[in-house]
Amino acid sequence: MRGFGEISERLRRSTARVFAWERGGGGSGVVWSADGLILTNAHVARTPAARVELWDGRCFDARVVARDPRRDLTVLRISADGLEAAMPGDSASLRPGELVMAIGNPLGFIGALSTGVVHSIGPLPGMGHERWILADVRLAPGNSGGPLANAQGQVVGINTAIVNGLGVAAPVSTAMDFLRRGARPALGATLRPLRFGLLILEVDPGGAAVAASLRAGDILLTSLGELSDALDSGLDVMRLRFLRGNRERVREVCVQLRAHAEAA
Amino acid sequence: MANELAALSNELATVVERAGQAVVAVHARPRFSSSGAFWRPGIIVTAEHTIRLEEEITVTLPDGSNVPATLAGSDAGTDVAVLRVDGAAGSPISRAGAVPSPGNLALAIGRSQDSGVNATMGIVSAVSGSWRTWRGGRLDHYIRLDLTLYPGSSGGVAVNIEGEAIGIATSALSRIAGVAIPASTVDRVVDEILKRGRVARGYLGVGLQPVELPDHQKGLIVLSVESGGPADKAGVLIGDILISLGRHVVVDTDDIQTVLESQGVGRSVETELLRGGVAKKLAITTGERSRRS
Repeated sequence: MRGFGEISERLRRSTARVFAWERGGGGSGVVWSADGLILTNAHVARTPAARVELWDGRCFDARVVARDPRRDLTVLRISADGLEAAMPGDSASLRPGELVMAIGNPLGFIGALSTGVVHSIGPLPGMGHERWILADVRLAPGNSGGPLANAQGQVVGINTAIVNGLGVAAPVSTAMDFLRRGARPALGATLRPLRFGLLILEVDPGGAAVAASLRAGDILLTSLGELSDALDSGLDVMRLRFLRGNRERVREVCVQLRAHAEAA
Repeated sequence: MANELAALSNELATVVERAGQAVVAVHARPRFSSSGAFWRPGIIVTAEHTIRLEEEITVTLPDGSNVPATLAGSDAGTDVAVLRVDGAAGSPISRAGAVPSPGNLALAIGRSQDSGVNATMGIVSAVSGSWRTWRGGRLDHYIRLDLTLYPGSSGGVAVNIEGEAIGIATSALSRIAGVAIPASTVDRVVDEILKRGRVARGYLGVGLQPVELPDHQKGLIVLSVESGGPADKAGVLIGDILISLGRHVVVDTDDIQTVLESQGVGRSVETELLRGGVAKKLAITTGERSRRS
């Protein structure tokens, strides 16, 4: 019987370690093409350049090709070819109960395998309409960006987060959409949901929020679901109502969006 | 590229899909919903500890629709709550014929409104005979589950690899693991709740402590007597030592619970006790234990 061991070994060769230059730690990545495309999480590769180590120990400097913070995905390019690319599976036909395995570098263990089943497929509470794969698989920091594969070793998701102990993975269909069409328009701000709106914790330099003179501390009078609908509406201008300082006075701003902006 | 692992994976997903047709999401507490299962036509069973509302409870059916449900009754002791849904044609879950063995594969199946059916997998890690929960109820078997019950899974159904219900999954009966409330226990509690609206437990109104007697016999010394309670009315005093209840020798508080369970409420129970070293007989009329608020 082809067990987890055999199938995971093939997958392990398509799993890389990804280090951001400035910060320590690091995460995992999926070798997407034989000629050097590496898929990982946006929160793993935060800087324009990163370093990638393949399963055989070879290290490469990597360049960020595109970055989508809203779906937490980044694609990197390394100068290499003849790589063992991962086999993408069909995340749309995934069913709860199916066996899945995650490979990554959690807590410094390289190429560690964890197994389990698909818990459910759907949106995360309070996080908009985006669909995620929730897996009953033990993940730890360092698994981020690594593959979640089905029983045939085909990659069905990119491990992204841990919520209430459940592994959360971006479906591979989302990743393919990102690779094909680039990043979706983003606000360029770190937000925290409040009861009545979204608090801006931080704005990205050069992002749409900064350009519209929004700043940390402002409270957007919208929800994550509404915001993502507005960002995905296809319009290049988004009107936002927000509060600053005086809670009585509602201000308004027009945010200029760049459709499918490329980060690099 | 078929392989045996893929075949097993398919089988598991099919089990979840099929059993999931009897699993609903229960909205009866703030923030997290919980899960429940159609146990009989129109009757949903869930975990009592997840019910925080008595009215305006709704359930999400397998077809995604939300319908109102009424609380038929609940039993905190076994952590079982029974909901009634009018007109909902949910197909009840089929029950496993036998008690599982340690090592058997098990799946906990739940449902949420947004993402539909959900599942976790593990094994049955321990099975024993009759077990009294810390909440005072008695389960026909202690079935410990070595699988993760995430928030929202409680009240869902624990099934074997055939998709048959082992019991109702709950995280509230053990600190160390999820427990399946055995299907036979659920049946018993559902019967009683549908008949009477609750599970009545006999009550004496005494605080007891096991003691060893000079002749190496054991008994239970009365440390407190609830004023106006059944024991007080029958004339039990602090310092009395209970020897037998309902003609059963009692050496532990568990024995008392067992006798009270078989006797029911409002029955006269013959009691033997020692008072000042002298044997004495009394008849106590059992009361009903007040329900947890």
